[in-house]
Amino acid sequence: MDTVTLTIDGREVTVEKGKTVLQAAIDNGVQIPYYCYHPGLGIDGSCRVCIVKIEKLPKLQTSCSTPVAEGMVVSTQTPEVVEARASVFEFLLINHPLDCPVCDKGGECPLQDFSYSFGPNESRMEFPRRVFDGEGVRADVDFGPTLMLNRNRCILCTRCVRFMREIDTDPQINIVDRGYGSEIATFQEEGVHSLLSGNLMDVCPVGAITTRDYRFKSRPWDNPDAVDTICTLCEKGCNTTAWLKAKPEWAKGARLIRITPRFNPDVNDYWMCDIGRFDYRWIEGDNRLQKPLLRSEAGVLEPTDWRNVVGKVADRVTAAGGPSALGFLVSGHASLEELALIGRLGGTLGLREEGVAVGWRRREKPQAPGAKFKIPPVDAPNLMGAADMGFPVRPTSSGDADLAAFRGDVEAGRITVLYVFDPGPEGTLGDVSWIVEARQSGRLQHLIVQGVLMTPLAAAADIVLPGAAWVEKDAAYVNEQGRLQGAARAIAPPGEAMEDWQILVNVGLALGAPLTYTSSQEVRAEIAAGLGDNPRYAGLAELAFARPTAAGNWLKTSNPSERWKWDFMFQDLPPVKFVGKPGATSWMNGIPLTEVE
Amino acid sequence: MSFHPLMLYDPERFQRSERRLLEEGEPFTFAPERRAALDELLTKYPPDRKRSAILAALYLVQEQQGYLTANAVRHVGGILEMTPAEVEDVATYYVMFFKEKVGKHVVQVCRTLSCALAGAERVTEALSHTLGIAPGETDPSGMFTLLEFECLGACDRAPVVMVNNEDWHERVRPEDCGRLVEDIRARGPAASSGCHLRIERP
Ligand code: SF4
Ligand code: SF4
Ligand code: FES
Ligand code: FES
Repeated sequence: MDTVTLTIDGREVTVEKGKTVLQAAIDNGVQIPYYCYHPGLGIDGSCRVCIVKIEKLPKLQTSCSTPVAEGMVVSTQTPEVVEARASVFEFLLINHPLDCPVCDKGGECPLQDFSYSFGPNESRMEFPRRVFDGEGVRADVDFGPTLMLNRNRCILCTRCVRFMREIDTDPQINIVDRGYGSEIATFQEEGVHSLLSGNLMDVCPVGAITTRDYRFKSRPWDNPDAVDTICTLCEKGCNTTAWLKAKPEWAKGARLIRITPRFNPDVNDYWMCDIGRFDYRWIEGDNRLQKPLLRSEAGVLEPTDWRNVVGKVADRVTAAGGPSALGFLVSGHASLEELALIGRLGGTLGLREEGVAVGWRRREKPQAPGAKFKIPPVDAPNLMGAADMGFPVRPTSSGDADLAAFRGDVEAGRITVLYVFDPGPEGTLGDVSWIVEARQSGRLQHLIVQGVLMTPLAAAADIVLPGAAWVEKDAAYVNEQGRLQGAARAIAPPGEAMEDWQILVNVGLALGAPLTYTSSQEVRAEIAAGLGDNPRYAGLAELAFARPTAAGNWLKTSNPSERWKWDFMFQDLPPVKFVGKPGATSWMNGIPLTEVE
Repeated sequence: MSFHPLMLYDPERFQRSERRLLEEGEPFTFAPERRAALDELLTKYPPDRKRSAILAALYLVQEQQGYLTANAVRHVGGILEMTPAEVEDVATYYVMFFKEKVGKHVVQVCRTLSCALAGAERVTEALSHTLGIAPGETDPSGMFTLLEFECLGACDRAPVVMVNNEDWHERVRPEDCGRLVEDIRARGPAASSGCHLRIERP
């Protein structure tokens, strides 16, 4: 690696050649504010807040667009820089509505934070602010199906324009007009239509772009806990953060309040797709399975307790006449632990090889052909893991799950007890209407479903075992790149629902399998021992799962694309600043309080 | 995007901004000779940089139908491999592209400093009076549109009036405006007194 050594604020720093002065500063903990710069996007140099003094150059330079050079001497704190920077901040705020109290970004807003730290104490602007479509949140207009846009708040950094141009590669956002008249817009107000649209909320450094999902729902200080986890809605396995709202146990509403991407250069960069970001409401929705259910004599599914239901499962399997009559249909959402336990179960029972099948859903995601962030078609996080564990992952030529033989066995009555393991959201197991059909026609005698939602499949079952969604259990998955990752338990499963490894252990015990695991960690350790020669699983036994970060730390887990900023910038909010002297014209210009040292 | 209760996309209930949108306009395709001119021009750019010809393409649209419409923007975008949003971005940046219907002759008075000091406002008033329209408007006959522009680059001959993005009238005095309008009405672009650069340095 070629390096360059330069001096920033009297300190010598050495960075990789080709970096910019701003990046060098960030890497070395020097505070320089920025808006239009985003580590995942191209350089624009439009906001001007990153200006620094570079010796031998006649004017102040934007550090985000100046590459480092050997021997460069940079200062970020000289009075000249401080003053010029403050003026830029003053300009950025001349039209900004400062409606932070009703703005969704308030509390995690770079415009707030940087203006506070680097801006002037007061504005000298005496003219009315420029207003689009009304004041405050009345100015919110639809910006496509997922977003709202408030142009009063926009600082025209063009991050959103560049995101669409560079990452989505379908540039739908533009700036119309110029100079003072500039505004962010879409052609004919059609809005943004993209499966990556949620990222625009992340990149927007102000509250101009907000998601409909999160709008008015919570403030950052209401979500004191954030859990680093992954998305399991497709085979990509984006690294994410799950945000938890603080609320008393008895209060209505969900705890899981939003999901945001977490930087991982090898998997998802700074981004995630809208499916992973927005498709989470089902987790705490009304349709979740909360209690074990058993079909009564009268043919109705009725709640029961775990002991009873697990016994019934064992009875059915035993009564069915042994392993040849039993079938397992496992979703590609099953984690390594769950697969291992199903494997153990099958082994104990002496299950036939054809008695196990793996199902998943495949759907092409509509995206621009050149998109830099591709959402893969298979909606299953662990097919690679299933294959490694010896499960029959059989795609047809079109990439769907090939269940023809298995389906034949069920429909011909060769499989009389079918155990379906379906811990993913509805539909991710692929087409299961044939199972419902077979059960209803009586060709399939017993249907046991271990899942999370009251789907038509669960409704047709004789026994329903309520399991956990991926944010409700510590579980390991292997994504399409063969990368081992863990999804952490952020919230508890609802009602009496249990983590799936526990259910499988209990079922196994009832069937007489000698399972002695007391935690999912033990299951992982055993898998790791078994797959020891596969380097992919080297870290499995020690796989770490994040816990909710402490309440006091929420600033650090701020806006994900800015998150690394917190690692070196603010340990806490900067001291409160008040204006030092009465404002020039009126009381309204500033309440004269004493300055805080 | 039915997975989210708040995200059922219903354009009918869309809360739209109040910004002025381009007219949809008639279906648009370039007349064959203009299309040929554009294709000829495109040979001068690398095949993956077709978008470089955007200004020329937008001028050709105006040549054909006087102003830009949404359909024209889509057509240009299609040829230059740009999204309509990108075309609109450029088109709205430049004032010489007209985003609404204009008269046959667009009279553009410079209002920037040099011209303003030399009495451009009086010229605008005089033109306004002669044409019976305020700046920004088109007269009922559809013959004239009066616009105020920024510096036209002929400050030493202020005040300057440009017609149809092309023809200069320099050192215009308010009392000349009546004749100027008559002249344009009678002789069209030929009435131009011409840019001094062209006249003095042939
Ligand atoms: S909407 Fe946000 S991201 Fe886009 S230009 Fe405005 S401030 Fe920047
Ligand atoms: S791309 Fe796949 S893993 Fe990533 S957020 Fe979307 S659904 Fe989740
Ligand atoms: S961050 Fe450097 S100009 Fe915006
Ligand atoms: S100020 Fe009018 S032409 Fe320059």
